[in-house]
Amino acid sequence: MADSAIAFSAKPNFRSEAVGFLTDATLCIGCKACEVACKQWNDLPADNLGPMTGMSYDNTIALGAETWRHVAFIERTADESAIGSPVTWLMLSDVCKHCVNAACMEACPTGAIIRTEFDSVYIQPDICNGCGYCIPACPFGVPQLSAAGAAQKCTMCYDRLRGGLEPACAKACPTESIRFGFVEELYASGVARIAQLRERDVDARLYGDRMLGGTGAIGGLNALFVLNDAPETFNLPAAPDLPQRIVPRAFAATAAAALVLCAAAIAAMQERS
Amino acid sequence: MNERRHHAGDMSQSNRRRSAAPTSPASPYGLPVIRRAHWGWLVVVYFFLGGLSGLSAVVAALASLTRGSAASETVRAGRYLSLAALIPCPLLLILDLRKPARFLNMLRVIKLRSPMSLGVWGLILFSLVSGLGVARQAASDGFLGAGRLAAVTRRLPEQTLAIVTIPLGLFLAGYTGVLLAATAVPLWAKRGLLLGPLFLSSALSGSAAAIAAALAVRRPSHGEVTALARLERIATLAEAALLWGWLTRLGATAKPLMSGGTGRAVRHGAAGAGLALPLVLNATATITPAHWRRSLTLIASALTLLGGFLLRYAIVFGGNRSADDPAAAFALTRAEPRR
Repeated sequence: MADSAIAFSAKPNFRSEAVGFLTDATLCIGCKACEVACKQWNDLPADNLGPMTGMSYDNTIALGAETWRHVAFIERTADESAIGSPVTWLMLSDVCKHCVNAACMEACPTGAIIRTEFDSVYIQPDICNGCGYCIPACPFGVPQLSAAGAAQKCTMCYDRLRGGLEPACAKACPTESIRFGFVEELYASGVARIAQLRERDVDARLYGDRMLGGTGAIGGLNALFVLNDAPETFNLPAAPDLPQRIVPRAFAATAAAALVLCAAAIAAMQERS
Repeated sequence: MNERRHHAGDMSQSNRRRSAAPTSPASPYGLPVIRRAHWGWLVVVYFFLGGLSGLSAVVAALASLTRGSAASETVRAGRYLSLAALIPCPLLLILDLRKPARFLNMLRVIKLRSPMSLGVWGLILFSLVSGLGVARQAASDGFLGAGRLAAVTRRLPEQTLAIVTIPLGLFLAGYTGVLLAATAVPLWAKRGLLLGPLFLSSALSGSAAAIAAALAVRRPSHGEVTALARLERIATLAEAALLWGWLTRLGATAKPLMSGGTGRAVRHGAAGAGLALPLVLNATATITPAHWRRSLTLIASALTLLGGFLLRYAIVFGGNRSADDPAAAFALTRAEPRR
């Protein structure tokens, strides 16, 4: 049944010029070179190096205003109560999904969030006024407000792309767990990788694809992921949708309520004999 | 830690393919899936005052169009109240920006699918139109003197202004519900269609209450006060029905809202003090002597307004807590039809 899901999963309608990432959890060794390369290239400050979290080797915890790659460590033990029970790890370098239809971009009231010529989603730092609407709008919890007040997230190294270089994280990755390229090609290799992994009995799925329920009106992700467990295990929503899909219907419902309330108000204010 | 244990149990079976969706997906370490907005008290106060300003102007416009001079007190109080509630609104919005000096960037674009963009433009249009309406009122009331300014202002088309004010005022009170609905926050998104109507009805009950209070201070037995009390009752009943429907249809997603301070604000504040008590007090007022009536109307009005404020407090802060709830976020994004 899972195999037929691959067969029936129609290819998302990626734009031909779109570039993006394919991040493969089965190849990640948790070295965090991507995190470091990202911070160095983009001149981002170190994360708070306070007390350790105790959440495996993950002291980064989540994507943030100054953390645009986050290597998640998910520890799994066969039996938590047994001391010395073998531990296995899931590792995944999370990143902005650069959605085909991006919720942050739809929400942005200033037009600070734009789609670039590479089809990536980019926040113009000189336009953003820190209204904060993109933050609860994103179904993946990616953008965050920086201490200076503007929303920030992965730029897909827009400056490197302009200069003909691949993003710093992909360049630094020593296992090709992070691959950069045209999304159409990455999608095809993602599907092939899933089939290969399933032949080896690995519980693999392509995240953002219809085999997991799709991405609704988001229409696909320019940053795809090969996962070896349920998306939720990696803190990713299984079947996210574009929150703005509700806007026309919500305005219609509000207008209908407005009509009823106005009619009631006129009736209530009439003189009674 | 239950989530972790469940996960470990999962693993003990094997690393083989499982059926597509896990029965009870867990966020590793219980970390949030989405991120909360930074919105707090400034936004709560704006939601409250914006609704009050919008629907006070609407009540005034409706009264002026359908009752004419018979409701002149309602029209006057509604217009001045609308202006008073409107003045802090742009300031609150600008102060809530993390880069307030860049507030004018809001006016670079109009985006039909961004309720915040539409809201900014709606607020500006409403301010212009209702501002002219208030100026017209002030001229009639003699506040602009007897010079040319007053003469010109008195020539403003009152009916046209009233007709244009109505949709703009309704928009100002209702768009905030759509704004919250168009997010990934489970509490706001799950039954988001009901938020706009809920905010509208709450703004209507609050506006009717505030205008009634303004009138009752001077003439408690005035016929217009009775008419406003009827209006407040209808709006309060609509608000109660919408609030009940919203909460019951939210199911487990309402948990962060209904616990702690926001839970008390909904139960005792919005529902108890804001809906039930004013209904009882206003009903009592109709059968009590005139000198009691004024106090009852004033107390009922104050409670209705307090309830409307606490409703918005609970929805904004409850939404922020809901954003931290991974189970609710996952429930909203299962591989099945959402609404």
